Amino acid sequence: MGLTLPGGGVSGRTGGMFGVDSPTFLTTKLDFVVNWSRRSSLWPMPFGTACCAIEMMAAFATDFDLSRFGMERMSFSPRQADVLICAGRVPYKLAPVLRRIWDQMPQPKWCVSMGACASTGGVFDVYSMVQGIDTIVPVDVYVPGCPPRPEGLIYGLMMIQEKIRQESLTRHYDLRAEDPARVAMPRASDAEVVGLTGPFGNSTHQDQLTDGGEVLARDPDDLIP
Amino acid sequence: MSEKPSGLDAIDEGPVPSDAAGPAPAGTPADKDSHPSVSALFARFGAAVLHHEVSAGDEHVVHVEPSRNVEVLGWLRDDPEQRYDLLRDVTAVDYGEGRPLQVVYVLWSIPHRRALRVKCLLALDALSIESVVPLWNAANWLEREVYDLFGVTFRGHPDLRRILMPPDYAEGHPLRKDFPLRGRFSRAEQTRRALAQDVERFYTQHDIEIGREPQQVTLAPPEPGDARGSAT
Repeated sequence: MGLTLPGGGVSGRTGGMFGVDSPTFLTTKLDFVVNWSRRSSLWPMPFGTACCAIEMMAAFATDFDLSRFGMERMSFSPRQADVLICAGRVPYKLAPVLRRIWDQMPQPKWCVSMGACASTGGVFDVYSMVQGIDTIVPVDVYVPGCPPRPEGLIYGLMMIQEKIRQESLTRHYDLRAEDPARVAMPRASDAEVVGLTGPFGNSTHQDQLTDGGEVLARDPDDLIP
Repeated sequence: MSEKPSGLDAIDEGPVPSDAAGPAPAGTPADKDSHPSVSALFARFGAAVLHHEVSAGDEHVVHVEPSRNVEVLGWLRDDPEQRYDLLRDVTAVDYGEGRPLQVVYVLWSIPHRRALRVKCLLALDALSIESVVPLWNAANWLEREVYDLFGVTFRGHPDLRRILMPPDYAEGHPLRKDFPLRGRFSRAEQTRRALAQDVERFYTQHDIEIGREPQQVTLAPPEPGDARGSAT
């Protein structure tokens, strides 16, 4: 895969694009060109809410310099962004904001969940905190760490690039179609939310209700008093 | 045996007062003459001042009758010998097990460089106290926070509504000791409710703007010996 020179270029001589005798055109696959341009110019939408955002800023700054990967520009407008980087914990009060930003981003778009809190709720297994943003938006790459080092974020974004490299326009609809009816709705079903957010570790002794796959109905009578 | 309330009724019900629980953790009782404002409070208000203690070394705490909080705090602010013109914090403590909930006012006197804490104990079935916003505008958001997280109603507050939790939060008041740590609803219900919120309704320009009302400042006239007064 990649760029192919028809007829083979002659190297070691100057002139033309790849040498004097080389053709002035080249052939390649459309998928390759599209994916190459997409993965080389990802514009991140930084959704930094906590200490992970400090490491994210370090990754953008000179020492680590994410612009080497084509991410020159933070896109603070979701309408021009390609990658949502959710760095930090997301409380339930912020959940509709995160979902709306995701809905506003045009396809194709990807999502990185950076750090323990964004991925699982982390140590904040409490009443106010979203237990993993994958209940709200679809996540492509989870970067573990508390917070992850900039290298970790860079590696996560390179995994996004690798994922883009393997995409194909023939499957564009399967990969990219969105149901307008699902706008501002949770990504996960009720059963999935319960499965993703069940108590673990020290939080098993807390008197909330999620056991097994049981899902509470919306009827207030079914709430645990 | 009466039937235990369930569902949203139980949320409104809140914790039940108890006589069985021991006293809440407290500081060491102190001599009232060790702090000039405390001795003056005892001399002026007598029965309204219930208790005086010292905690964390030199933090003087005075327990005051909740029904007279505005009277006592207003005097502390305006009396020339006291002049507690800075309200550092209004907060609350729930020690659990049915003990009364404590509303705490943390005061600082800029002219006299003196600190004082005033506590009012509220029974759990009567969580209501007079607002001190007429005395200090700083109390506005602080009292909203106490209302949001503990459910204390501040009578006379100009704008008593939730400040930290979402405006339509239905699970109760999260910092109460009877509140389960992970909330009352299932995670699925919480997620659904969170995403059903209308963000544009509560992130309005009205809420985001700070300082749209100029603060009303009323200061006592400077005294002859006051360094701040003589400097001007």
